[in-house]
Amino acid sequence: MIEVVCNDRLGKKVRVKCNTDDTIGDLKKLIAAQTGTRWNKIVLKKCFSLKDVCPVGTRFLRTTCLWEIMKSMMG
Amino acid sequence: MGSSKKHRGEKEAAGTTAAAGTGGATEQPPRHREHKKHKHRSSGGGSSGGERRKRSRERGGERGSGRRGAEAEARGGAHGRERSQAEPSERRVKREKRDEGYEAAASSKTSSGDASSLSIEETNKLRAKLGLKPLEVNAVKKEAGTKEEPVAADVINPMALRQREELREKLAAAKEKRLLNQKLGKIKTLGEDDPWLDDTAAWIERSRQLQKEKDLAEKRAKLLEEMDQEFGVSTLVEEEFEQRRQDLYSARDLQGLTVEHAIDSFREGETVVLTLKDKGVLQEGEDVLVNVNMVDKERADKNVELRKKKPDYLPYAEDESVDDLAQQKPRSILAKYDEELEGERPHSFRLEQGGMADGLRERELEEIRAKLRLQAQSLSSVGPRLASEYLSPEEMVTFKKTKRRVKKIRKKEKEVVMRADDLLPLGDQTQDGDFGSRLRGRGRRRVPEVEEEALEDEEKDPVAQPPPSDDTRVENMDISDEEDGGALPSGSPEVLEEDEAELELQKQLEKGRRLRQLQQLQQLRDSGEKVVEIVKKLESRQRGWEEEEDPERKGAIVFNATSEFCRTLGEIPTYGLAGNREEQEELMDFERDEERSANGGSESDGEENIGWSTVNLDEEKQQQDFSASSTTILDEEPIVNRGLAAALLLCQNKGLLETTVQKVARVKAPNKSLPSAVYCIEDKMAIDDKYSRREEYRGFTQDFKEKDGYKPDVKIEYVDETGRKLTPKEAFRQLSHRFHGKGSGKMKTERRMKKLDEEALLKKMSSSDTPLGTVALLQEKQKAQKTPYIVLSGSGKSMNANTITK
Repeated sequence: MIEVVCNDRLGKKVRVKCNTDDTIGDLKKLIAAQTGTRWNKIVLKKCFSLKDVCPVGTRFLRTTCLWEIMKSMMG
Repeated sequence: MGSSKKHRGEKEAAGTTAAAGTGGATEQPPRHREHKKHKHRSSGGGSSGGERRKRSRERGGERGSGRRGAEAEARGGAHGRERSQAEPSERRVKREKRDEGYEAAASSKTSSGDASSLSIEETNKLRAKLGLKPLEVNAVKKEAGTKEEPVAADVINPMALRQREELREKLAAAKEKRLLNQKLGKIKTLGEDDPWLDDTAAWIERSRQLQKEKDLAEKRAKLLEEMDQEFGVSTLVEEEFEQRRQDLYSARDLQGLTVEHAIDSFREGETVVLTLKDKGVLQEGEDVLVNVNMVDKERADKNVELRKKKPDYLPYAEDESVDDLAQQKPRSILAKYDEELEGERPHSFRLEQGGMADGLRERELEEIRAKLRLQAQSLSSVGPRLASEYLSPEEMVTFKKTKRRVKKIRKKEKEVVMRADDLLPLGDQTQDGDFGSRLRGRGRRRVPEVEEEALEDEEKDPVAQPPPSDDTRVENMDISDEEDGGALPSGSPEVLEEDEAELELQKQLEKGRRLRQLQQLQQLRDSGEKVVEIVKKLESRQRGWEEEEDPERKGAIVFNATSEFCRTLGEIPTYGLAGNREEQEELMDFERDEERSANGGSESDGEENIGWSTVNLDEEKQQQDFSASSTTILDEEPIVNRGLAAALLLCQNKGLLETTVQKVARVKAPNKSLPSAVYCIEDKMAIDDKYSRREEYRGFTQDFKEKDGYKPDVKIEYVDETGRKLTPKEAFRQLSHRFHGKGSGKMKTERRMKKLDEEALLKKMSSSDTPLGTVALLQEKQKAQKTPYIVLSGSGKSMNANTITK
């Protein structure tokens, strides 16, 4: 279980607990539950955006990490 | 500084992440677990452990099942670790840096804003709602190397790892080998020899033992025999042994076996080992003996023969070939496939009694064959020889010279004399007036003389006798021919007497002479008749030819070569002046008379048939008049009757001919360089000359009155260099080119050329056929094939009209 910190630079900062084998989609769902946006509108970005399919526990992420939420119009 | 930051971050992180406490708690078991994996002394810090984990995850192994596949993981992890040793360190550094940054940010953020987070239970509820698995609390493995507690990473010793791996492998191999040996250990290997082979002493011992055993066996056998003898069983035993001996295979058992080689292939004195030929197990049949080497050799020979590529089909070979034994062997169709279809039939011979085989029968057959061959007569006769004109010495022997007899010259003279006498009676007889009329019949002159003739005919002595009438001569000739024909073969070819040949010659000559005489007589007769006829005709003509025969005459146009020629000549002014016209006078008179009559006829009747000759003449006369009249106007006019050229010139001048100026294709004037135009710059200043002024006419000028009604039909035609008439547009273009001194550019000229070519092609195109001339080709092909259709199949090459057809 890791905790992902997500920040959207507009005042919303969320720490989400999830399994490492959860996919990013699941993480987004959790984030959505906490932030109140729709999950498919969330784009997680650092310098690159994450795809929904990969599990959260891939090498790119760290156990406790901060990701920026970006809301995209697409989706 | 970094550490202080870290600490700050730590605290705050610790403060905020209450939930992380569980994460922290979970740190322990992983570590514990790490210790369990004693093989991995080096955990490489949390990051590498994480890596391992991640890698194992990548292989699809969950952490939950991590314990089960611990070894697998470890091994995989080891490999992976070896691969990417550099990475974790980097990552660690990066992550630490990042971590610092983010933590700082986080801390700043947390300080400023809210970072809402749910507790695990809440999260689990949420996850259940979403349909996700609940959080795995135990499975969390946090980075050991966090800012809070940096742990020195265990050193990974790759060498040690490798050694361990190798050891493991060796142990496994040894184990396997042991097992195998246990299985196979029961079988004696080659290496384990009897001890006596190397050691002489042992060998001696062994041999002694064997000997002992033999002796014992013998003794035992003897004992047994004695016992048998005692019991009277010996005879039975002996019989048994006899049987066995008889059953033994010997040479006499070879009788009747076939050997599948030609008997000639065995040479005397050499030993050849024969073995049984391979046969299928279920095949029932005789046993066949073969020698392996010979079989191979035969096969090789056969292959060589095949490779020689002899022609399969000899078109001129005879249908039936005569075998050596003078037996007819008909040639079958496709004989080369017989072997394939019916199977091979190799030479073979049977062994006779005692397993022997001698080629006696074969030798006998050969002798018979040779004998027959000698007796054979070939149908091909002696070839044609050049015929020689001279007899060869051999033939000269048979040739006998003939004796020359004295020529009988007298006979000839007599004949000559006789001929002259012959003529006289002949001449009297011919004036009878009956010259071969049909009443008389063929070959018979008069009744009284028939008997004479018959006698003469039967006599068969026509040599000295002159024939009475002309026709009988032919008969006589026939008879004499027969006679002559009969005479020759009767005499033997050897005895050719000179006088007989001479006689024959004389006969032939006489015949010729007689024929000639008769012909002359006939001619005379005929000519005489002719004269009579002509005389009659002349008389009749002179009397009443105008009344009776005029219509005939008129209807019958007499063509005479000379008259025609003369007609076409036209009037000859010097005709008849030379005075050489006696021969032709008659004819000319006739002609003139005809003309006169014809002329008269035309004037009176006006029929065209009759006056056809005169019309032409009139025409010619008119033409001549025409030419004569023109001479009066101007003296320059040529006299036309001199020749054709003059006539043409006159016509041209008069404008009677339509002349088209044929423009010769001249070199196109280069447009670049304007040639010096044919113009002159009028120098108007030259008018001011004193003397030239005088020459000027300053009087009243007026148009010619004669030319009042003169309205010429002016038609100006422009032509291009090839002679084509130009349209106004093209003409203007040409003009402007000349004016400006430059023509069209490349494109334009090309286009123009193309257009001209197309026009030319269009003109050349045939209206009734396609441009490729397919209709013509079709017709040609049909003509060649003599069919009203054409077969369209096959390659295009055969569609040529030039193919040879039957």
